Amino acid sequence: MEKKNNKYDFSLFDSHNLLNQNILVSYKGPIDERIMTVIGDNIVLVANDTNDKARTKIFKVFMELAQNVWLYSSETCKLENGKSVGMGSLVIGEFGNYYTFVTGNVVKNADIVPVIDKCEMINSLDRESLREYRREQRRLAQSGKPNSGNIGLIQVALTAESPLDIELTPVNDDESFFSIAVKISKNCTKK
Amino acid sequence: MDNIHIKGVHEAYFVPTVNFDASTGICELAGESYLEETTKFYQPLFEWIKEYTDTVKGPLIFNFKLSYFNTSSSKCLVDILDMLKNYQKNGGSVTVNWYYDDSDEELEEVEDFTLETGLEINKIPISDED
Repeated sequence: MEKKNNKYDFSLFDSHNLLNQNILVSYKGPIDERIMTVIGDNIVLVANDTNDKARTKIFKVFMELAQNVWLYSSETCKLENGKSVGMGSLVIGEFGNYYTFVTGNVVKNADIVPVIDKCEMINSLDRESLREYRREQRRLAQSGKPNSGNIGLIQVALTAESPLDIELTPVNDDESFFSIAVKISKNCTKK
Repeated sequence: MDNIHIKGVHEAYFVPTVNFDASTGICELAGESYLEETTKFYQPLFEWIKEYTDTVKGPLIFNFKLSYFNTSSSKCLVDILDMLKNYQKNGGSVTVNWYYDDSDEELEEVEDFTLETGLEINKIPISDED
């Protein structure tokens, strides 16, 4: 059957197929506190092939990473209450004995370098060093600095018990699409 | 001095339940903590602890029963623990109980709170709660 593209500029069918059967949930759009709560409260329900520990981890990882999209995406959307919030995507997939949780958003190239450095540093540390790093950063954050999301990324790595799998894809001269993926084991022992 | 009673809510943000009792020194922080303005929410709690430790100077028993707190809230929890540690250093009686739900990661974080503040925290499984 010939594909009709006269109604839309893209095929939702193709998009649906791209999000193949391993994808449990996908969302693209603005993220604010209300959307976070609705997705956060329900995202764990799709992870029904696992235990409470993995579900708690999915929720905690979601809360930190989705908040980063909301606060740090350079692609923003003005809501009806006048607030400007970040736009981005999130996906949760199921692959064998683990879930993959991914968030992505457009970032200014000038702003992303320290975040990538932070992720690479987090990935280079073992669990004990990562805990020590979180303690240090929490101390620094208390001295009146605004929350920069620094502890959030450390928390994600500790909760997921997996490295932060980051990817940067240029979209134009000034901006790139930045994504962070983490794996969460279905058989995790730490909650 | 007044007590603090805040009923926890789970809406767009998650407000923890707070019960600080000046007549007994028993203080409870329970539920979920994810707030629009974290420091603004915790500020009155800091002020209550300061007033209690400056004027009442009685024993303090802190019961933490948090099922979820975000990283921003964790900074304020450390601030509370710092205040309690200072009170203890100056001769105040302080007991901190942390109720946890079968969670190794939460236990690690409580151990980290002790390392960060020097304050001993009793770790109690929720199943043992009477």
